Amino acid sequence: MAKIKYQNRIELLQGTLDMLILKTLQWGEQHGYGIGQAIRASSGEVLQVETGSLYPALHRLERQGWISAEWKKSDSNQRAKFYRITALGKKQLAADYQRWGKMVATIEGIMRAEGGAA
Amino acid sequence: MNFLSKILRRKTDLAEELNTHLRMAVADRVARGESQESAERDARREFGNVSLVADVTREKWGWLRLENFVQDIRYALRQLWRTPGFTITAILTLALGIGANAAVFTLVNAVLLKNLPVADPKALVRVGDAYQCCVNNGALADGDYALFSTETYEQFRKNTSEFEELAAMEAGFNFFNPMTARRDGTGSLPASSVSEFVSGNYFRTFGLQAQAGRLFSEADDVKGAPVVGVMSYEDWANRYNRDPSIVGSTFWINTKPVTIVGIAPRGFYGDRLSTAPPDFYFPMKQIERLKDGDYVNDPDRMWLYVLGRVRPGVDRLALQTKLSVELRQLLGATPSFSSVHDRPLLEKAHVVLTDGGGGIQIMQLSYTSKLKLLMWISGLVLVIACGNIANLLLVRGMARKTEITVRAALGATRGRVIQQLLTESVLLSVLGGIAALGVSYLGARMLLALAFSDTNVPIHAMPSWPVLGFALSVSIVTGVLFGVTPAWIAAQSRPADALRGGTRATSGGASLLQRSLVILQTALSFVLLVGAGLFAASLNKLQNTDMKLESKNRYIIAMNPQTAGYLPSQVGALYQAIEENFRAVPGVVKVGISTVTPMDTRSNNDPIQIQGQPDLHKMAGWNRVNADYFDAVGTRVVMGRGIGVQDTPSEPMVAVVNQAFVKAFFKPGQYPIGARFGDPGPSPNAAAIIGVVEDTVYNDVHSKVQPMTFIPILQRAAGDTRPLDKMNSFYAGSIVVETSRPMDDLQTIARRTLSAINPNLTVMKFQTLDQQIADRFTQERMLSRLMVVFGVLALLLATVGLYGVTSYTVAGRTGEIGIRMALGAERAEVLGMILRSALTQSLIGLAIGIPVAFYCVRFVKSQLYEITNISASSMAIAVVTLLLAAFVAGLVPARRAASIDPMRALRME
Repeated sequence: MAKIKYQNRIELLQGTLDMLILKTLQWGEQHGYGIGQAIRASSGEVLQVETGSLYPALHRLERQGWISAEWKKSDSNQRAKFYRITALGKKQLAADYQRWGKMVATIEGIMRAEGGAA
Repeated sequence: MNFLSKILRRKTDLAEELNTHLRMAVADRVARGESQESAERDARREFGNVSLVADVTREKWGWLRLENFVQDIRYALRQLWRTPGFTITAILTLALGIGANAAVFTLVNAVLLKNLPVADPKALVRVGDAYQCCVNNGALADGDYALFSTETYEQFRKNTSEFEELAAMEAGFNFFNPMTARRDGTGSLPASSVSEFVSGNYFRTFGLQAQAGRLFSEADDVKGAPVVGVMSYEDWANRYNRDPSIVGSTFWINTKPVTIVGIAPRGFYGDRLSTAPPDFYFPMKQIERLKDGDYVNDPDRMWLYVLGRVRPGVDRLALQTKLSVELRQLLGATPSFSSVHDRPLLEKAHVVLTDGGGGIQIMQLSYTSKLKLLMWISGLVLVIACGNIANLLLVRGMARKTEITVRAALGATRGRVIQQLLTESVLLSVLGGIAALGVSYLGARMLLALAFSDTNVPIHAMPSWPVLGFALSVSIVTGVLFGVTPAWIAAQSRPADALRGGTRATSGGASLLQRSLVILQTALSFVLLVGAGLFAASLNKLQNTDMKLESKNRYIIAMNPQTAGYLPSQVGALYQAIEENFRAVPGVVKVGISTVTPMDTRSNNDPIQIQGQPDLHKMAGWNRVNADYFDAVGTRVVMGRGIGVQDTPSEPMVAVVNQAFVKAFFKPGQYPIGARFGDPGPSPNAAAIIGVVEDTVYNDVHSKVQPMTFIPILQRAAGDTRPLDKMNSFYAGSIVVETSRPMDDLQTIARRTLSAINPNLTVMKFQTLDQQIADRFTQERMLSRLMVVFGVLALLLATVGLYGVTSYTVAGRTGEIGIRMALGAERAEVLGMILRSALTQSLIGLAIGIPVAFYCVRFVKSQLYEITNISASSMAIAVVTLLLAAFVAGLVPARRAASIDPMRALRME
């Protein structure tokens, strides 16, 4: 049962989470925990990324070649897997962002129209 | 392996990555002021189920399915390893069941299914469908011709453009005495060799290329052309070690020089499957220069099989009609059809075209019904084996109910559980299938040894690709078929039931399905046991038939003076030398010389008419013998006298006939002695009957003894005007030696004695008369032994099945039996209770098996000798054997049940 729940979440957030990860990685390479913390911090603690969504997304992005990974020592001298955005990933981010803007505008338009009617 | 290790590395990487995440989260929390303990707890809570996260992440790799599969296999292997008793029983059962089938299939494939190793075998067509051999003349009653004269073949070839090529081949080369071959120079001794005479286009018809040198063609198949021959690859490799100088060298074949022009391609064993494939091929027109083959010139003597390659798109039915019309025209012109009696038979004359891809299917004719029977029998054994497997897996499925329900309770889906159990049963059956290949190889070797011992039959025991495919597909089907049901049943169970752990039920134990399987196995194995008894009785009867001969201390030496270069005019002196030199050997009592011997593979038949009586259109066999012959083989004279020393070549021709001859040619009460017989019509070649002998069996125990005539070996009829050197019937085929005691060294003595007379005289075969008789029962012996093997195998499997189910019952009823014993049941009662249930199943199996056995007799009757029904004794033996086996199978678990300690049994819950 639990498994199904996680899968639903991923699907719900899919495009968005991918975009947020790619955006976060634009500032520099980062490990999984760091990415989660960065999204949380930059959203003003609003968005909490579940590990059950984060890691599948990271591995999927890696498989698609949008990000690459490397084992390195972290600041606290711990071995961690660091992710880095690739050239392909940057293109993808631009495309995702454009689509996102279009979608927001469209949804905004619908919401406005509804509001007017009410 | 590389791929697997990659997966494993990624797996540990992922674990480490998630672990790092957790540690970082804890470190952050601690840095924010939380205590180590609460930081760890909260971080873990926030993270969620680590292994689940790992699972969903791994899914993104797209390998989960494969990983599951690997996991299942590893788990299955571990499970199988943990229960060695079950695993070994299951694998052995499968190995025996499938292996027996694969072994039989190896033989079936080689004998019945395989084509000749030639180019495009599908386009080959044989003219004729019947088994006829070897040199015949006269009209056939059923008109179905399969044997043709040189003339008929040549006309067919000339007039039938539908054939791209039409070849002819000697029908009886396996039945004639072998020829001798000696390589020129090198001082080697002549060796006995199998030779076949074939038409010049023989090799081209089969689309063959020479391994070395060249293959002969039409230009070599012309009278007067230099005699050439082609050696088989096998002979070249085995006897001459692939010596390239063989090509172009001279061989002395029956003391005549022949140039070997080439080697036939590797793997080619001639135009038919045979126990003695040809060592040499010669152009058929040269037959009279190498042996007594004057029939090559006679349009009335049929000695050839005809096989051709049809052009694409030819209508076979139309071709068959065309050839039949032509055959009637050709036969109508021969002397055979000149008599008024035979004229109507001409209308019936026809040919039937058959597929020629498998060559001339002579061996197939005698083996088809036996191989089919073997397939049925081994199939039944497989059914019994499958019953066992099903039972074992069912039992295992039930026994693992708890394990499975626990897995279900922990969240495994039903599909996943079934997949796992299926993996296990398929893995088991594949392991069984692999073991079966070993059994199949050994089994096929045994089959070949039983069927073709001491022969050069081109069949190999090594499992071929079709056999491999057959074994593995059978095992996988078995695994899936008998793995699904238990898996399904096990997966149906509700977790709560099993976890509650209640096993205290009196109905506990084997299900109806399991009992039915055991009953079915019992019934089938009983039928097979009865079958084994039938075949053993048949063989026994066959071997104890009174063949009207003496075989004790009798030895048969096959030889042929012609192969040593003797002319018919010279054999008289030779026979005298043989008689004298062999009699001089201490221990030798009688020295018979004859054309054929009792229970020989050879025979000679001619149409016969008693002078002064109407032509009955009957044939009689003939055998030319010396004075010692009847004593040497132990044939008793019942009327008149036998052949004696006084019957010299200069005396008028006399003959001794057997009782079957008297019955066939004379009216009851008519006195045969003094009557004269000869060729039908006003023949001057007549012999006077001087005596009658018993019906010694010459060819086949199965059929009635044929009329036979015995003529002094060198006598000829007064009116015979043929030149003496045309008397090929003077050539003897065997020396029969009777000794006063068993003589193990007689073979060496015979070899020495013959080569002392003439170095070219070779012993072509040496056997005791007992061996020669036993050779004629090879197939029956093979069938009988195999029936016993399969019967025992079936019984063994059924016993294991019964044992398994009974054991399972006892295990399932431990609690119940404990209570019974606690309440005062005696050990003997418990023992009786378990035994009774085991024997009840066997009795039900018997009740089904007995009528089935009686019903099945009709299917094997044609394979039995003078046995038409199941005898009471063999039935009793089968019943007792089966019940004994059932008793043993039941006793072991019953004793275990009786030794249950009530206290421990009750405490177990």
